[in-house]
Amino acid sequence: MSSRRSRSRQSSGSRITDDQIIDLVSKLQQLIPELRGRRSDKVSASKVLQETCNYIRNLHRQVDGLSDRLSQLLASTDTDSDQAAVIRSLLME
Amino acid sequence: MASFIPNLESAPDTCPEFKRRKRRITDEKPASSHSHQRNQRIKRWRTQREQHIYSSKLIQALRRSRRTSASSSAAKEVHETADRVLAVLAKGTTRWSKAILTARKMARHKKAKVAANTRLRKPAVSREKRKTPVVQRKLKVLGRLVPGCRKLSFPNLLEETSDYIAALEMQVRAMTAITEFLAGSGPQPPADRLASNVNS
Repeated sequence: MSSRRSRSRQSSGSRITDDQIIDLVSKLQQLIPELRGRRSDKVSASKVLQETCNYIRNLHRQVDGLSDRLSQLLASTDTDSDQAAVIRSLLME
Repeated sequence: MASFIPNLESAPDTCPEFKRRKRRITDEKPASSHSHQRNQRIKRWRTQREQHIYSSKLIQALRRSRRTSASSSAAKEVHETADRVLAVLAKGTTRWSKAILTARKMARHKKAKVAANTRLRKPAVSREKRKTPVVQRKLKVLGRLVPGCRKLSFPNLLEETSDYIAALEMQVRAMTAITEFLAGSGPQPPADRLASNVNS
């Protein structure tokens, strides 16, 4: 009885089908630069999730490094407040 | 992406195919408009305009926070400011952005209490037993990486992840541009170099 339930398509709380999972995972795959070119049937869901986690951690690390550099640069340019106004105006072009 | 969203702009090719397409449009209208909105939001992160808006707001916020700051780590403060501006720019439609803004408020007032709550609360048992334990584990890790998404269902988590990744990529692009600009004009005497840039 319990084995039958675990194999039935509608498990207790979720209405997510296998196809839906495959579809969502392939969409996620397109966002990850490493996996974008590969055929979706050659990349397992587990690999897509793993690469997604790695990619997000990578982005976090990049922002960390950039924050570090920015804080140093801002400390050295703090005295010149005109510079920041120029940066702003140049960026808004 | 285009697999189940019908292409509303294309001209009908043959008669039966057009009828099939038309039926699909009326059947999936609510779903397709929702995901269309989502795709539009995600595409926004990739525009130059959004990046410029973010850069400008970030610089303003950084200048404000430097004037009032007394924190130990300047880099951490920059990172937090960058995240906060990013979350504000998301206009509160996504879970991760709300989580970032809430976390900052809570961190300021009730740091210890939040920590205690998260420890007591047990993770919700997933009812989706069709996925293997390996995939389950990785989903959990992903849920921890995206702010505020620990207990989301699989489709919602992936939706949040897509938006979060697009936003993070923009954050990196914007901060890189700002850093390069500041580094480029740093060593030279600021007035001369910037004056020549503005005048040219």
